[in-house]
Amino acid sequence: MTMLKELAGELIGMFAGERRLTISVLATVAVVGSLVDFIGFDPLLGGAALLLGCLTLFVDSVLRGARPRRP
Amino acid sequence: MTWSTAAPAVAAAFLASLVEVVEAFTIVLAVATLRGWRPAAIGTAAGLALLASLVLLLGPLLGQIPIAPLQLAIGVLLLLFGMGWLRKASLRAAGIIPLHDEDAIFAAEAAGLGGQARHRRGRLDWVAGVTALKAVLLEGLEVVFIVIAVGTARGLLVPASLGALAACALVLAIGGLVHRPLSRVPENLLKFGVGVMLSAFGVFWTGEGLGIAWPGQDLALLLFAALFLGAGLIGTVVARRLSVEFAQ
Repeated sequence: MTMLKELAGELIGMFAGERRLTISVLATVAVVGSLVDFIGFDPLLGGAALLLGCLTLFVDSVLRGARPRRP
Repeated sequence: MTWSTAAPAVAAAFLASLVEVVEAFTIVLAVATLRGWRPAAIGTAAGLALLASLVLLLGPLLGQIPIAPLQLAIGVLLLLFGMGWLRKASLRAAGIIPLHDEDAIFAAEAAGLGGQARHRRGRLDWVAGVTALKAVLLEGLEVVFIVIAVGTARGLLVPASLGALAACALVLAIGGLVHRPLSRVPENLLKFGVGVMLSAFGVFWTGEGLGIAWPGQDLALLLFAALFLGAGLIGTVVARRLSVEFAQ
């Protein structure tokens, strides 16, 4: 049972270790998907938005990690 | 299958496996040193068998799912996983998170098993075997995900699995020779590289799953990897400066 719990924890940690980054990436994908699929946004521009969005979120997440945590 | 599509998948599987197998090997070695190779080998073999069954079960199952939703799902998971690895590697390179220390992990694992030996002498071989099994299973889960993720979307499950197995064989061969934790492996550098590759794969497949036809097709992966590499390096440098400023 303990091992199953550890396996579940490992799986969650693999994809949602950093909650804020996970939610922002999912939101970016959802927004780009909606723009391309439902609004008829140019797919290439959607791709550029996805790429730039992910790069920005990544740098933001690293910089957040560098800040000292509030007590 | 061409080299331009297979090489990044095989390289990602190989490098990621190298990192994870080195981590698992440290614990298996601690078990073997304290309790002999028998429980260590049995635990390792059981863990590898479970992981191989996962690949054999999930690989063909995922092959039944239509390609666009599969690419989207795998792309998003790769993005989350790859960016997570890259973030951690950047923060470690910046000195904010401590580096993975194989010697310290070996010592802690050996001390843990030594402590259990005093309390449960009779069951120790079983405990040692389970410790090895758990190490292989927990570290191997990430390898299984990477092999399935980079392998399934392009029908590269076999080459990606071979890449992972090659890393396993290499670590076991070197580890068997030196008979100590492989603490000189530049683990964070490898993790940084794999994070870059998986993030690039993630953007590529998420885009393809959303119906985006990337200009240059697979060559776009190189551009994405270069951009994530640049972002990782910039993030590391700025994070290091920030941490110094906050410390003052």
